[in-house]
This record gives sequence, C-alpha cells and structure tokens, in this order.
Amino acid sequence: MFDFPIFDMPLVGHRLMFAFDAIVHVFISHGAAVGGSIILVLAQWFAIKNNDRKFDELAYKIFFTFFVLATAVGALTGIGIWIHVNIINPAAIGALLRVFFWKWFIEWIVFNLEMIFLLIWFLTWKARPLGTPGKKSHFKIGLYYAIASWLTMAIITAILGFMMTPGNWLASDFPTKPDYLASLMNPSWIPSLGFRTFFSVIWAASAAMMLSWFFTKQDEELRAQAMRFFGRILAACIIPMIVFGYWYYLQFPQAAKDLFTMGVITRRLIATPELATIVTVALALLSLASMLYLYFKPKKAAVWIALVMFIANAALISEFERVREFVRKPYIIYGYMYANGVRVQDMALLNKEGYLKNAAFVPEEYRNPTATTPPEIRIKTGEYLYQMQCRYCHTINGVNSVKARITNLGIQGNADALYQRIKGLNSAATPFMPPFAGTDEEMKALAAYLATLNAPPSQAAAAAKP
Amino acid sequence: MDYFKMIPNDIPLPLPDGGLSFVEPVFHLLLVVAWVVHILFINVLLGASFGAVYFNSKGVKMKNPVFDRVGYLLTTPVTISENMGALWGVAPLLLVSVLFTPLFYAAAIMNSPHWLHIIYGNIAAFLLSYLYKFTWHTLEDRKSLHLVIGVISVALFFTLPPVFMATVQLYITPTTWTYDTHFWDALLRPDTFFRLMHFYFASFAVTGIFMLLYGFYKRKSADELDRQAGDVLVSTGKSWFLVPTVLNFFVGPLVLFSFPSYGLEAFFNSGYYWLILLSIVLALVMIYMLIKGFFNNDLSAKKVWTIVGLMLVVVMSMATLRHGMRLSLTGPAMAEAKAKSLDFQQRAQDAKLEAEAAAAAAPKVQMAQGEALATKHGCLACHSVDNKVVGPAYREVAKKGYDQAKIVALVAAPQPANWPGYTAMPPMPQVPAEDLKVIADWINSLK
Repeated sequence: MFDFPIFDMPLVGHRLMFAFDAIVHVFISHGAAVGGSIILVLAQWFAIKNNDRKFDELAYKIFFTFFVLATAVGALTGIGIWIHVNIINPAAIGALLRVFFWKWFIEWIVFNLEMIFLLIWFLTWKARPLGTPGKKSHFKIGLYYAIASWLTMAIITAILGFMMTPGNWLASDFPTKPDYLASLMNPSWIPSLGFRTFFSVIWAASAAMMLSWFFTKQDEELRAQAMRFFGRILAACIIPMIVFGYWYYLQFPQAAKDLFTMGVITRRLIATPELATIVTVALALLSLASMLYLYFKPKKAAVWIALVMFIANAALISEFERVREFVRKPYIIYGYMYANGVRVQDMALLNKEGYLKNAAFVPEEYRNPTATTPPEIRIKTGEYLYQMQCRYCHTINGVNSVKARITNLGIQGNADALYQRIKGLNSAATPFMPPFAGTDEEMKALAAYLATLNAPPSQAAAAAKP
Repeated sequence: MDYFKMIPNDIPLPLPDGGLSFVEPVFHLLLVVAWVVHILFINVLLGASFGAVYFNSKGVKMKNPVFDRVGYLLTTPVTISENMGALWGVAPLLLVSVLFTPLFYAAAIMNSPHWLHIIYGNIAAFLLSYLYKFTWHTLEDRKSLHLVIGVISVALFFTLPPVFMATVQLYITPTTWTYDTHFWDALLRPDTFFRLMHFYFASFAVTGIFMLLYGFYKRKSADELDRQAGDVLVSTGKSWFLVPTVLNFFVGPLVLFSFPSYGLEAFFNSGYYWLILLSIVLALVMIYMLIKGFFNNDLSAKKVWTIVGLMLVVVMSMATLRHGMRLSLTGPAMAEAKAKSLDFQQRAQDAKLEAEAAAAAAPKVQMAQGEALATKHGCLACHSVDNKVVGPAYREVAKKGYDQAKIVALVAAPQPANWPGYTAMPPMPQVPAEDLKVIADWINSLK
C-alpha cells in the first residue's frame, strides 16, 4: 500500500513465505491444540474409566509431542501470521485490528487461560497417577484447556470469516460508525467454525493414530486398542464436517465460488477442470481407506499406511486453506480492500490524482510520471508501482514470476501490449487480479518497466520512450 | 511540522474506543502493564536460560552435583517464562499496532526480512531449549553435546532483543527515517545500542531478584540437593542484581540523551523526569539492603519480599517513563498521520462521488451488444478491434471467415495452429454460449 515503505521479498515471494508460516500454524493449532486437546481429554477419560494405566501412558506420550509442537511452533507461528501480514499488507492487518480489536483482546485473555491450563495439565500429569484422588481434578484441568483452546479458534475464525464475507459491516457507516456486531456475526463465521472444529478433531485423531503406531511397537494389543479408540472419534466427525463444510460453501460470494476449481489446481491446468475433483476425491478416499485398514487390521497395518493417511489429510487441509485464500481474490477483505491493500472506495481518487502522489515512501522525483518524463525516471517509477501493487502476489523471476506471466502471453518487451493488458487486469480473463490503481501515465510507466524485464538493455531504453 | 520527511497515513478506520473518551487512556494503561509483565518474563528467560547453561558447565568443571542441580532447577522458569513471555508480548504488540499503526508497521517493514527473526529465531530457540531440558538426564554421559545444545539455544534467545530494539527505536524516531533506512542502520545507532545494553543488564538484575526468591523457596525443599542449590541461588542472585544495576546507572543516561531533542524537551516538560529520580532512589535502597546483608545468606522473608516489591515499583516506574518518552517522540508524528489520513479520506470520498456523478451524467456511448459482452467477459484484455495485443485483432479474425458455430467452438477449445506466431489462447469455458453467439456475430461484422 502506498502509505508504507516497501519490502520486496525476492524469489520466494510474499505469498509463499506467508503460506509456509500459516499452514504450519494450521497443522499445529488445529491438530496439536484444538483437536488434540479434545481427543486427549477423551483418551484420559477413557483411561480413568477403565483404570487403564497403559492407555494413560500412551495418551501422555502423544500429549508430550503435541505439547512441544503447540507451545514452541503452534503459538509462535500464530503470532507469525500477524508478523508476516504486518510486513506484507499493513493496510489490511491495520484495518482488521481496528475492527476486531476487542475480540482479539478477549481472544488473548482466553489464550492466557489456555496456556495456563496447558502448562498445568502437562507439568502435573505424571504427579497425578491413575487411581489417586488428584487424577479427577487433573482431568478437569484438561477439560478447561480443551474449552479454552476451542474458544480461541472460535474468535479467530470470526476474523477469517469476516475477510471472506464482511456481511452487513460493509453496509454500515464507516469510518464514523462501523457496525462491530455485524463484523463478528458475519455469515460464514458459524459454518466455518463448525467445519474447522470437526476437521481439527479428524486431523488430531489421524495424528494420534500415526503416533500410536510408533509408541506401541512392543505392544500390539495396546496398538489395536488405540487404533479403535482414535479411529472411532475420527469416523464420528466425518459427516458433521461435510455438513458444516457444505453450509460454509453456501456462504461464499458467487464470484468466489466461480474460482474454486482454479484454487484447487492451478491456472495452468484449467483446461482440465475435472482434475480438481479427481485430486480431492482421490485424497479423501486414500485417507479413508488407510483409516479403515488401521481400524480393522491394526496388528497387520504397516507404518506407511498410517503415514499415507496422515499425509493425505495434511494435503486436504492445505488444499482447503489454499482454496479459501485463492477464491477471496481480488480482495483481501471482500468488497472493502483489494489484495494489494488499496481500498475499493479510494480507486476513484487514485485513478484521478495518481497513486504515487500519495506514496509517502517514494522519493519525490518518481511521484509524477508524465508524457515527457525521461526513460530512466519512467522505468524506475514503474518499478515502484510494481513493488507497491504487484509484489503482494508476484515476484520478478521466482514464485508466480511476473516475467514468466508476460512471456506466456507472448508480449515480452512490448510496452504497448503490456499497457493494454494492465488496463484489463480485473476483467473476466483474470477475475482474481485487482484492477490497477492510478492514472493512465502511471499504467504506461508500469508497462515501460515491465517491458524492460525480458528485453535486452538497449531495447529496454527504446521501450521506455513514450 | 518539518521534522518529518515522510509520514504514512493512519488507518482509515476509527480507534476501537467505541467513541468513549476514557477508553484511549485505558489502552495506554493496558499497554504499560502488559508490557511490564512481558518484559519481566523475558528478563527471567534470558537470565535463567543463561544461568541454566552456566551452572551446568560449572557443575561439570567442578564435578559438583549442587551446581548441576542449580542449572536443572533453572530450566523450569525457562519453560514457563518462554511460554508466558511470548504470550504477554501479544497484548503490547496488539496495543502498539492499534495506537501507533503507521509508525510501528513502517518500522517493521524497514527492518524486514530481519523482523521475521522474532518468529523463526524464536521457534528454533524454543525447540532447542526443550531439547536441552528434556535431555538433561539422558545426555548425562555426553555433557559436552548437551552443553552445546544449551549454548546455541541461549545464544539464539539473545539474538531476539536486538531485532525488537531496532524496530522499537525506529518507530519512535520517525525523524530519522530516510527512503532507504534498513535494519542495520537502526541497530547500529547509539540509542539502540545503549538501550540494548541497558536491557541486557536489567535482565540479569531482574533474574538476580528472581533467584533470590526461587532460592529462598527451594531452601525449604525436602530434598537435600535442592536445599543446597537454594543456597547457591540466593548468593548468586545478590551479585547478579548488584553488578548490572550499578552498571545501568551509567548506561541509563547514555540512553536518555541519545534521543532527538524535540522528544527530550516534551519528555521533560511533561514531568516524566520525576520517575527517573524515583527509580534511581529506589534502586539505591535495594542496593543498600543487599550490600548490607551481602555475606549473610539467612535473609528474612520480610526482607526478600520488600526487595521484590521495590523491584516491581522500579520496573513499573521505568516502564511508565519509557511510555512517556514514546508519547513525547511520536506525538507530533501521529498527529500529522491522523490529519493526513482524514484529508485523504475526504478527498477519496469527494472523488468517488464526482466519478459516480460523471458516470451518471455521461451520455450512454452506443456500443454494439457484442462488444459490450466481449468487454464483460474479458476478451478485450488480449484482443483489440484493430491491433494485435496478445491475440490477433478482431478484424484479422473476421477475415478468416469462420461461421458463428465455429467461433463459439474455438473459444471453448482454441486451436493455436490457426495462428502461428501468437501465444496460445486459454480455453474460456466460463463464457455462456448465448453470449458467445452474439460476440461471434459482432466479430464477423467487423470485416
């Protein structure tokens, strides 16, 4: 956004860098914390009910793994999402913080409780063995941990839902009187929360099944017991997850629904849209088949079956998160702000006055391209525009390379054709791209810069001529 | 004001204060209190993780199990303070991000990608500190390996404050920003350097007080080794507090006077210097109390708790004056950012209404229905009527003499062989056939 300094992440790009942190966070927060706390509470309840010391020990081993991952990686990558967005799209996170401040603050208080219950539950598990009176109160701590853990997800999900479906907030009168209740009660909050809750439990149960395989190498009976126990929890959550998932899907705007197929696969494969269905169904069947095998033949199942189930589930979760992020385009907050931080309502001003006129962190000489601007200044001006409007998703020659995109169109080095293309960014041909914000001369400066990317230097100078 | 070469706009949404004037001061109070809790945990994290490795190696060197136990005991506060420290860092981060958005985010971006170290460096340090703690007994016979793990994790923890400090110093001094200020410029400035030093010293001093308390508690343990370790903690705690605190009397003024003069002026005019005097006096009292009983390790509970209480008052007072300095330095910049933002929003609103009015008033350009549909479906992103853009000009397409059905089929399944030298067109199955028929007739009308 024009209000902030520029940090351009080369090769890897902002999108991938962010996606890495975010997906690690989803894996761990949903698996080790939210879903993990639920299945561990159930496992402890089961061990207490049957006075089963071995099962209690197995549950602790799984808990140990979840604890290390949740505290060292899960919590920090959660803050990491915020830190990443803060350097990628400060305008968007700044807006979200103002709309959701109190919800975030409440989430932080609940997060405190979650962390305290987690630390107590973990650090005192062994000091409260089965059969002692302390075990019952210890079990309660676990229960509180699970509730607190779920509540943090409930609040964060509201923010994600808001970004996709701001609902009546958009219609409210901001900046004077934004409707904070509408932003919380946005249409996709409850369905997405239900969907995430059930897939968290499924994901945690599949992780527990895989871990149990490793922790029960010497005890096949225990393995069979664990597979049956976690397998049942997993199976029970499949139908509710699908129901909530479908309800969630219904909330997406039509334009977002139209992008679903492309979100599952890539633009390159769009000629064969059926691949999207094939990939999704195949992964789901693979996961289901491995789960059933582990359930019915726990003693015969090899480790790779547990791994296949785990990896297939990880792939399905990643696919869901990618689709959710992808179909929101060209927006970051639907209908309010484009993916590159430009507010929809500022477009008219920026197109009239110029984008760079308002760019505080661009040196003065690059803020006003005209028909008579010298080529070097013009190209540098275009580079600033690229960095401020395109680098959110593109890199020059790495992930989602703008050079490759231009070459694929066959218009490399052709400033006129590039200019025509920039004019129609947000057309039906590329509905996921935000429109260019700025004057005609700024479009030409960007085209001049892009023309230099694939062209030899001598041609580049020629292309920059107005 | 001319101090600032560049100031970003503020976020064009209201502060979440519900329009109530007393809420903003509450934000400031919450910021100071949450930050104090955060920083106390972080102080203990740095000091105790250092101590856990220091006493471990001392135990190996002197073959003394008491030192080994002191090190092991210190891993528990490390686990707790790394978790609680990160957690209590979230609230100040949230409040700073809301109250000082344009300045703080601008500084974080200038310090990138190094700013990300506070996540990834932290995760690595966290995992290694767990490894160090949970292998304390299993690696008993491979102490050097165990110590290497500990040293790396401590070293990593110590690399996090410089990143924070560089960002904090940068956002509260927007007068120093240039078009290419980066992380190392901010880190190697005297103000950042001395503040960092002051912070590291304070970490050991706070850990010293913590050790005093922890040792006092462990001395009552049923375990003999724990009791002896408690004694070591008490005597170490005293010197860990005394030496860095005395050093900070010298570093503190260097920090204070390295701030820009307009900020110092506002700071003194607001009377915050009283808090400096208060902190110094209380710190001197603590030093006196500890020196007086330096060789007497049988401290009374009353004395220990008095010292802890005094420390909390000192830390609170220093946090408040620190916040005073932040307000003094950022006040003018935030006022300018807010004014700029309001002006921008007004202009944006005017331009939007103007554009809407112009669109409503403009005579409807008579566009062929086919052309309108081609625009709607994005065809004109690659084709124009007369010129080659990405694909061929529509007049060229018309010359091919395809009939309507053929064009409709080609859009759904393009044949790149028909147009050598052009980029292959992607299939456009999303365009409805009814619209395509109209577009096809329009193209053929261009002959």
